[in-house]
Amino acid sequence: MDAAPQQIATPASTNGKTRLMQKTSDAMIDIASVSKTYSTSQRGDHLALDDVNLTIEEGQFVSILGPSGCGKSTLLYMVGGFVDVSAGSITVKGVPVTGPGPDRGPVFQEFALFPWKTVLENVMYGPLEQGMPKKEAAAWARKLLTLVHLSKYESFYPKELSGGMKQRVALARTLAYKPNILLMDEPFGALDAYTRTRLQNELLDIWERDRKTVMFITHSVEEAVFLSDRVYVMSPSPGHIRKVYDIDLPRPRVRAELLLDRRYQDYVVSIERLLDEQDKEFA
Amino acid sequence: MSRALWLPGLPPLLACIGLLVVWDVFTRAFAIEGLPPPLEALRQLPGILTDPEALLNIAASLKRMAIGFVLAVAFAMPIGLWMGRSRLIAAAFNPLFMVIYPVPKAALMPIIMLWLGVGEASKILVIFLGVSLPVVYHSFQGARTVEEKMLWSAAAMGVGPAGRMLRIVLPATLPEIMVGCRTGLVLALITMVTSEMIARQTGIGNIFFTALDMAQYNDVYAMIIIIGVLGFVCDFAFEAVRRWLVSWADSPHTIAVGSA
Repeated sequence: MDAAPQQIATPASTNGKTRLMQKTSDAMIDIASVSKTYSTSQRGDHLALDDVNLTIEEGQFVSILGPSGCGKSTLLYMVGGFVDVSAGSITVKGVPVTGPGPDRGPVFQEFALFPWKTVLENVMYGPLEQGMPKKEAAAWARKLLTLVHLSKYESFYPKELSGGMKQRVALARTLAYKPNILLMDEPFGALDAYTRTRLQNELLDIWERDRKTVMFITHSVEEAVFLSDRVYVMSPSPGHIRKVYDIDLPRPRVRAELLLDRRYQDYVVSIERLLDEQDKEFA
Repeated sequence: MSRALWLPGLPPLLACIGLLVVWDVFTRAFAIEGLPPPLEALRQLPGILTDPEALLNIAASLKRMAIGFVLAVAFAMPIGLWMGRSRLIAAAFNPLFMVIYPVPKAALMPIIMLWLGVGEASKILVIFLGVSLPVVYHSFQGARTVEEKMLWSAAAMGVGPAGRMLRIVLPATLPEIMVGCRTGLVLALITMVTSEMIARQTGIGNIFFTALDMAQYNDVYAMIIIIGVLGFVCDFAFEAVRRWLVSWADSPHTIAVGSA
């Protein structure tokens, strides 16, 4: 994890503002000096993200952890190309992000399934869009539904599924168009504790197969430590990176073993302490 | 007893019989000249419904209503969806539509007749206006509340802006559009009858108001029953289509008018 982005301090002037020019790095995702300002009619400009620097290497599982309102989801939306940056730059494999693309597959807390499509049709949507023939797409979608243990439900509509099942479909739907990067926006945040741990295990199992690059947004310390290679902790108002933890725990990870592992406990405890400190500052 | 009440169609049937009984008692008690007993009115129905002239009139009315309705949906739905997805378009059109919405469309009939004459065009235009507004309104409300993340998911798969409008916003809004269409259908019936009242040539409204002018009250009430049944049948058929189209939707927008 020594591939810190090379920054050369060449000030470039844009609208009178000075930013750091980012030399193209070989990181999978490179977020350089990114800020986000929202203009509100009542309170003027609101700075949501302030000078965020962050890199994610290919095949790395990286979590962004922080309280609600710290802008962590906004950061993910900007990598997805759904929301524009106000300043700074985001590059994916050295190419600046200008909009959404099938190389970055989002999975949202809200599932965002197409309710008028069956489970199978939802998963087939991306491959069909990418020009895969229908039969092939159906076969491929069925394979993915087996992977997420939902093959019996292919003809169901989203409204007939539980939250956990919906999120499994959403994950399969995103995996179906083979993105290089998974952008997961608090994917298990709306689920009950039991389903949440099941899905964390399943996600790791799936991830171990081909180790895609994952950017994972969460507000759960245990979730971040259990899943990730690296955890960025963010502070709110304005949102910025507070601290980085490289999680040096063996893989494949087994929850029951990790819970007894002193290193796992240390990571969780030190992040919890940091968050406590942060709370006091804002109290 | 309580189980028998749950037979489909039985409660509304009982309500209809109840209404006829109240009507009958009322006519016996007060003997108003313009209010014939229900049986007298019902007795006119076979005569009207076997009279080719009357049937041609009803068919002409339904044709107008269908043309006005279809044109209105074809025009209003895209505008509503566009307003729902573009703040600029919404800001431009919304005040305009909100001003036009409460204006009784049939009241515009005399003015429209000055432009288009007393023929089909005027009546269809009035029906069109009546149907358009609820369809615009509901399409607009539906389209603006489409889950943003759903559109983002489609964008990530490579669906472009036009494709997202047609293949994500439209189906996602369909349940709400159908609510607007259902209101539109009722308004189509109302504007159809009133437009025919004002520009009398053919149609259900023509029979109705000609009978009224000639003080044939039995026929007048028979026509009221026919119009009522027509509305009921239209709504029932529409509800069947709606259910079939949006059976996937989370919360069924059922306002049980015709359907039990």
